[in-house]
Parts: sequence; structure tokens; C-alpha cells
Amino acid sequence: MNELKVEGDTIQFIVVKIGKEQFGIDIKFIDNIVRMQHITRVPKVADYLCGVINLRGEVIPVMSLRVKMNLSADTISKDTRIIILKFEQQGAIGIIVDEVKEVITIDASQVDKVTYDTKDERINFLSGVGKTDNGLISILDLNVVVAEKENA
Amino acid sequence: MDVSQYLEIFLDETKEHLQNLNTLILDLEQNSEDMNTINEIFRAAHSLKGMAGTMGYKRMQNLTHDMENVFSEVRNGNVKVKANMIDILFQCLDALEGYLANIQENSDEGTEDNEPLIKALNDTLKGQDAVPAPAKEKAPVKATEAKVAETKTAEAKPVKETISKDPKNWKKMNLDEASKEALSDYVKAGKNAYGVTVFVQESCILKAARAFLVFKALEPIGEIVVSEPSTQDIEDEKFDLDFSLFFVTEKSIDTVLAAIKNVSEIREAIGEPVEHSQLQITIEAEDEEIVESTEETGVVKEADTAVMVSNQDNGAGKQEKKNTVSKPIVNRTVRVDIEKLDVLMNLVSELIIAKNSLVSAAGTEGVSNNTGVNEQIEYLESVTTNLHESVMKVRMVPIESVVNKFPRMIRDLSKKLNKKMELYMTGEETELDRTVVDEIGDPLMHLLRNSADHGLESAALRKERGKPAVGSIFLDAYQDGNNVVIEVRDDGNGIDVNIVKNKAIERGIITVEQAENMPDKDIISLLFLPSFSTAKAVTDVSGRGVGLDVVRSKIEALSGEVEVRTKLGVGSTFTIRLPLTLAIIQALMVTVGGEKYAISLNSIQTIEDISLADIKTVQAKEVINLRGIVIPLIRLNSVLDIESAKQESESLIVVIVKKADKLAGIVVDDLMGQQEIVIKSLGKFISKSKIISGATILGDGEVALILDTNSLF
Repeated sequence: MNELKVEGDTIQFIVVKIGKEQFGIDIKFIDNIVRMQHITRVPKVADYLCGVINLRGEVIPVMSLRVKMNLSADTISKDTRIIILKFEQQGAIGIIVDEVKEVITIDASQVDKVTYDTKDERINFLSGVGKTDNGLISILDLNVVVAEKENA
Repeated sequence: MDVSQYLEIFLDETKEHLQNLNTLILDLEQNSEDMNTINEIFRAAHSLKGMAGTMGYKRMQNLTHDMENVFSEVRNGNVKVKANMIDILFQCLDALEGYLANIQENSDEGTEDNEPLIKALNDTLKGQDAVPAPAKEKAPVKATEAKVAETKTAEAKPVKETISKDPKNWKKMNLDEASKEALSDYVKAGKNAYGVTVFVQESCILKAARAFLVFKALEPIGEIVVSEPSTQDIEDEKFDLDFSLFFVTEKSIDTVLAAIKNVSEIREAIGEPVEHSQLQITIEAEDEEIVESTEETGVVKEADTAVMVSNQDNGAGKQEKKNTVSKPIVNRTVRVDIEKLDVLMNLVSELIIAKNSLVSAAGTEGVSNNTGVNEQIEYLESVTTNLHESVMKVRMVPIESVVNKFPRMIRDLSKKLNKKMELYMTGEETELDRTVVDEIGDPLMHLLRNSADHGLESAALRKERGKPAVGSIFLDAYQDGNNVVIEVRDDGNGIDVNIVKNKAIERGIITVEQAENMPDKDIISLLFLPSFSTAKAVTDVSGRGVGLDVVRSKIEALSGEVEVRTKLGVGSTFTIRLPLTLAIIQALMVTVGGEKYAISLNSIQTIEDISLADIKTVQAKEVINLRGIVIPLIRLNSVLDIESAKQESESLIVVIVKKADKLAGIVVDDLMGQQEIVIKSLGKFISKSKIISGATILGDGEVALILDTNSLF
């Protein structure tokens, strides 16, 4: 995924809150944002896969980012949302976030690659850091986010 | 020239012709004297050649041309059909299929010239010439040929005459006032008006397409004012070998003619500026011309068919009759992209989901006391059910398209294995969902090969056992309720349980003790394990041990099942059972621990109320004795990792499910009832869950999962 190499262009991100941290999700992968709804559990799958939901007649799997990032389990509030991501190959998947904050536009040149620190497992979910007027924002590497986790 | 828009049609039709040829040549092998078959073969080969030529596939055309030569000699009685000739012909068909595959892949026929084949074809012609028999036969043939030639020249003359006398057919065109006015208007405006007559080559197959290309070539440089026959008739191919048109342009006549001649298979195009006189012809003169032109086209037509007929067949009368008879039988069908049908099916699915939610909404709220609403909902239900059935039927295709290639395959196998065998097929017209039909070919082929290779004994052994020398393989298909059953049966050796047992022990699949306690049935089902083959030698045909497990996994992927029955020395039967449709099924809804699950009604045998006292334990597993059969119990809540929400009670609700001839009892909390459900995929992210085969959306919008009961065994 080379969304960061678009030259001289701006990239739009949706800023979401997971735990205490804020993350940016590239808007071009987002199909939809829906409120939390009943999730049908699917037995015998990885623990971070919560189950499936009905999105206008389509059955879409939903995963918990918090569980995948080894944070505490999701606490559902009125701000909880499911962000439906769409990939060309794998199709759609929903990820649960604690809150959706805003949409920001960052110049592509203002996005830096992260320097990897192999000790920190969470950093692997990031593809870069964007600089905004209000500070820094971590940008999620969606391919890593949805990839199957080993020994899960 | 761009022919890509015809590529699809070409591929479809070529496939049909090739299949047709395969069947016909098989017939010919059985009955080498049948004139009808030979004629039909000739026609199919001829159409193939024409089509390949039109599309510009030269190599394909060359090969078919030489095949056609052979057939025409056969038809004329100059050459007798021989076994080696049939072989060569089959090789040719294979080569043609190779071309076709290339074309399909990269719209190019490839570079294989198949020269050895062409040479072999020509050799059969030459070689047969030397056979003494034809000496007698040749004379009459020559005579008929001469006669044909005579009629040809005699009848062709008028054609030539009309052409040479006045090929400028446009002059005979019957212009109506409006077109005349339009023409003269254009002329006044300083443009050039030309009358043009285009002659298409006699060998041209897609005349309408050629005409269309001519029109297309002309469009950018000017305007076609009027054509004879009308554009509609030309599109419908209602013209002979020529058509005329009036054309207005700023370009010179040479440019126009060059543009037309650029289209291939156009023999000649002639044109001249329109004379003023033609635009102002008196009415009487016009009338005269009409008479003349109709007369002449009449002659041309007659002569033309005569020539064509004499070209194609000596028995001209018979041929003509056949042609006229066969026309109206043409199926009234439409070729539809399968994707469009999928879309339609999806929409029907949506509709059924919407209907289900209406039903549940009407059931809950105060609406239900309004009988009018209920009536309408019932009406809607019957409409959606009918709609679903109709759409399903549209997607159904006879398995014929798949099984048709098998007689040829068995023939080849028979030669290769040096065993005499015959394939008998019934129920080719049995229909299955298109997606299933596409997938069923390989498994069936594996089974047939198995029967041919492992099943049927060698000729000597058959004789010893008092069986007929020619082995029989049967392929029977029929519909059985909501299933389609396909049986592959042979009268061969059957499966030797002991050989299978020893092999399994040798491979370490089972231990000696296990083997002793195993019923024969279970041992035979070992054959379906990956990499298990009993053939002593790995042959070209089978024996790599990939056959049966591929068969099973393919069939199970289609939600079907395979079983084997066999009797040593008598033969074996493989039975494939497939669901009619995959997208919408009748299901029983059950609840376990507050979650809803669907179980396909197809796999359910009965539903039982089992008292706790009746549950026995065998080898630490719960079983029940149901009417004399011991059935293992499966607690669904523990399989699904969930707490049962049911209070302890005296009895359990047990759904008895079957897989092939095995039964199991699934313990559920409660039954919700039967429902028509639409199967939805869980998507690529949740593919690991083996016990869930899909999901469905219930009337209230909730997602329920569909249990794959086969995985519970």
C-alpha cells in the first residue's frame, strides 16, 4: 500500500479514538461508518473477530481493534462506531472504534514513515505519523490491521 | 478490422460445433455408412471453417479446410471411413480445441500449425485413392459431379449474366419520393451522390456482419440515404450476395469504394455518381424497372440456392428439404451472461429477506388484527416463492453440456487401456444450477476414469467370469425431490475390501486392530482419503491417488455427497447427490444459548424428543438408541462454545441429521420453525470457521449462522 507516496497531494483521514490514543484511517478505504449494533457471534474463530453484522442485506464480519492491539475489551458506549472498510481483494470488514472524531486533510509531504521499534508490538499497526496543526496523529496501516494474526 | 464484438459468439458457436463433431464422429465410427451423419459432419466442419475464416484465424481455417476435404471425399464415396481416419479426425478436433483455448485466453490462435495432422489428413485421402474398390464407384460419382457441374453452370449462368449485363444494381432500386428529394437536396448542396452495389463473397458466412461492417466503414465519410434491401432486412440477413445503397459524401467515388473493399470477404463494389435522370424517373418507367428487378432477383435467388445446394450435397432435394424443415425448430432462446442472472438472483434474495421481515413485523405489532394486511402478505409470499422458482429455473441448465464429452473420453480410454468398454448414459436432460453444472464435470470424469481403469477387468478375466467381453459403464442422472442424483456404475471387478484394508495398513492410515473391527463400508470410504490409490501401476489414466479425494472435496464444496456401493466381482456404483440450488434453501431454525442457527432441511432426518434416561454412554460418548439404531449425540452448545440457556429438564430436543448413510443427533435448546433462507457468504475474513457454512439474514434483520452439519460427524 503506497498511499503515502502520492506526491503533492493531500490525503484525507478520519480520526478515530481507540483507548486513549487517536488514529487516522485513510478515507479511501472507508465504505461506511455505522452505529454499534447487534453482532452475531461466530464460533471457533480468532478472538479478535467479534462476529458478523447485517449491513443493508450484506453480511459483514466485524473485528475488535482493541482485542487485536492487546488492549482491554471494548466497552460499548453511545459513541462506539463500526467503521466498514472495503478492500478490493478481501471484501468488506468492520472495525470497532471507541469514537469517531473528525475528518482531517493532511498534505502528503506532512506524513512521515514511522521508525520501527521492534519491541513495541503496537507500532506495527502504523504506517506513518501525520503532522497537523493540533499535533501528531498516528496513521493505521490497514493491511496490517486486517491481516490474520498469528497464533490468535 | 475489428471482429472482437463477434468473438463471444464465435467461441460459443465453435464450442457447439466441436461438441457436435465429437458426437457425430463417434456415431460415424459405429456406423461408417450413414450418409446423414456424414452430411452433418460435413456441414459442421464447413461452418467451422467459415467462422474461423471470418474471424481471421488462418491456422484453424486451414485445418478445418483439410478436414472438410476428407469429409467431402467420404461423402462422395471416394474414401471409406477407417479406424485410423477416425483417430486422426479426433486428433484434429483436439487440435481445434487447442486453438479455441488459445483464442479464449488471449484472442490469438497461437502459432501451432499442426502440420503433421494436416499431412496425415491428406495422406488418408491419397492412401485411399489407391484402394481398388473406388474404381467402380468413381465412375458414377464423376457422372454426378459432371451433372452437378452442368447444373451449376446452367443455373449459375443467369447470375453471371445479370452481373455482367448490369452489375449496377442500384440503378434498379425503387426510390421513394422522400429519398429522391433528399438525394437531390444533397446534390444541390454541392455534395456527391453515388449509387453503390456491394457484392459479398459466396463463401461468406456472416453476411449481415459484413454488411454491417460496410455500413460502419461508410458512416464516417458520408451518409447512407437509402439502401436496398432495407437496413433492417440486411441486419436480418434477408439478402443474397449483393446489396445496393445510395450514398452522399464529399469524398470521391474511389475513396468510397476503397473503404468498402477494405472490409474482408467483399468480392466487389461498384459505384457511380447518381445520374440526375434516376432522380426524376417517370412513374411508369419506375414500375417497369420494379418488375424487371423483382424478376431478376428471383432468378438470382433460385440460381443461388441451387448452386449452394449442389455445392453441399449430391442429394440436393433431400438437403433442401432438411434445411427448410430445420429452420422453424430453432430454439427461441436468449444467451444471457451468467453474471446478470446472479444479479437477478441476488435481487430475489433481497426480496425474500424483505418479505421475511414483513412477515415478522406483521406478526409482532398490532397490525395482525387487520386481515387485509395478512392476506396481502400471504399473496406476497406466494409471489416471491414463485419468482424464486422461476429465477432458479432460468439458472438451470441440463447436465448434457458436461456429460456430452464423456462418450469420446471413454472411446479414447478404451483405446489407451486396450479394454473394450461402452458408456451408456441416461438423464442427460436432468437440470442443475449452472454453477453446479460447471463444477461437476471434473468429479464425474474422475469417476468414469476410475471405472474404466480400476473397475473394468481385462478382457481375459471378464471371459473367465462369464461376463460379456465389452465392459459397460453407466452414467445415470435423475432428480430426486430437492436433489439431483448422478450415478456412475460399472459391471467390473468391484472394490476388493481386503486390498483396500492392506493398503491402508501399509500406509499407516489405520492399525491392524482397527482394520479388523472396521465394517467394510468404512474401509471403502477410506478410498476417499487424500493420496490413496489402489492401482498397482501409476498409469496415464489414473493411479496418482488424487482422484477420489478430489471428487469428494469438489462434491462437498457444492453441498453434495458421494457414496459407494460395491460388490466384489460384480461392479461398483458411485452415487453423487447434489442440491438443486445453492442460493436459497429451506432450513430449520434452532436456538442454542440464545443464539439462532439454521440447519438445512435437506440434511435433517427427523426431530426427536429424547428423555434423559435414554441416553447411554459408549466409550465416554453419549449415544441414543433410536428405533434400533445407535446414534451419537452431539451437544451443540459445547461444539459452539456457549452455555446452554435451557433449564435442566427431563428430555432433550434432538435433531437427527444425516450425512450419506450416517446419522447423528444434535442437541439444541429450542426449535423456532421452518424458514426459507438466503445463503450469504461470511466473507474472506472468516473463512476458518469449519462448522459454519454461511449466514443468513432473518426477518428482523438479525444475522443467523448456518450450521454445516456435515462437519459435525
